[in-house]
Amino acid sequence: MNLIERVVAISRRRSPWICRLNAGSCNGCDIEITPLLSPRYDAEQLGVELHGTPKHADIVLISGTLTLRSREAILDIYAQVPNPKAVVALGSCPASGNVFAGSPLVLSESLDSVVPVDVWVPGCPPRPQAILDGIARAAKLLEDGATKSQLQNWLGRLS
Amino acid sequence: MAMLKTILGNLLRPSRTRDPADMPDVPPVYRGALAHDAARCTACGTCAFVCAPKAISFTQDPGVSVSWHFFIGQCSFCGLCAQNCPTQAISLNADVPAGMDSAAGDGLRLESVVHLQPCTRCGAAHVPLPDATMAVLWGTEEAERGYCPDCRRWAASARLRSAFVPAAAEEVHHER
Ligand code: SF4
Ligand code: SF4
Ligand code: SF4
Repeated sequence: MNLIERVVAISRRRSPWICRLNAGSCNGCDIEITPLLSPRYDAEQLGVELHGTPKHADIVLISGTLTLRSREAILDIYAQVPNPKAVVALGSCPASGNVFAGSPLVLSESLDSVVPVDVWVPGCPPRPQAILDGIARAAKLLEDGATKSQLQNWLGRLS
Repeated sequence: MAMLKTILGNLLRPSRTRDPADMPDVPPVYRGALAHDAARCTACGTCAFVCAPKAISFTQDPGVSVSWHFFIGQCSFCGLCAQNCPTQAISLNADVPAGMDSAAGDGLRLESVVHLQPCTRCGAAHVPLPDATMAVLWGTEEAERGYCPDCRRWAASARLRSAFVPAAAEEVHHER
């Protein structure tokens, strides 16, 4: 890694841009992101900035139950996020389907089977500070080049 | 020049607003990390029955132990398990569960092993009652503390019979 790449990596950790993706959530997890951006929890202390489009994001926050239809949307939006990228899964829904598991159009499987997830934030919904902690961990992984997508690209280049 | 100063400041200075560790307090009644006390659990299964997302399950090692399993990635933190556990073996603490790297392990799953004990009368393996419950029911000395549920029923009916038929009291043996 040369000096410029190092500076870019540090800058990315010190100001990760995030975008939200609701994959079928009850809105509980999404509503916890709003106070996160307020002065009370103050995500900007870590340089976190919310962006409306995946094309500007470093970290995607995915909340909610995965459904047959949202699976395609997740894959589409994930593909639009420029490399390097990290995924943070919010709450119990992406991990298992939570109370919705077993419904006809719910995938009832972990988000890992759709896109590579770097950090799981437990809770239903998670506390804003837990989400912030998850974002900070993902930003650190991005700096170290250790997110799952970075490792996959790296392995892809080797082979 | 001003831009260079800003860039250097952004690279070198710590955060200028809150400290990351300086967070608003969690309310004392917050239902956060779940804890299970194997010494209080009777493996009755009530918690698994009331849990809507099926976050709690059991496995058995017949005659040796019963394991209580919990998967945090399936829990909706409703608190029904803690509310319905007859021996208060489950508690939802106010700590915020920390982030995790994988949904398969790394703190997401709890396992708690409840060891079976042989009955002091018939030898059948059973889950002992929690100490506090036994102290209330039989004090500390009573032989019934080590009994399995069947033998406890037998002992209770034997006591009842001896109250009605005092002469029969001598015939009561601690055997089947
Ligand atoms: S984890 Fe809970 S709060 Fe979040 S989307 Fe699922 S049900 Fe709603
Ligand atoms: S934790 Fe409580 S409700 Fe669950 S099996 Fe044990 S005693 Fe029963
Ligand atoms: S808190 Fe609710 S969802 Fe979680 S294990 Fe207990 S009963 Fe199940």
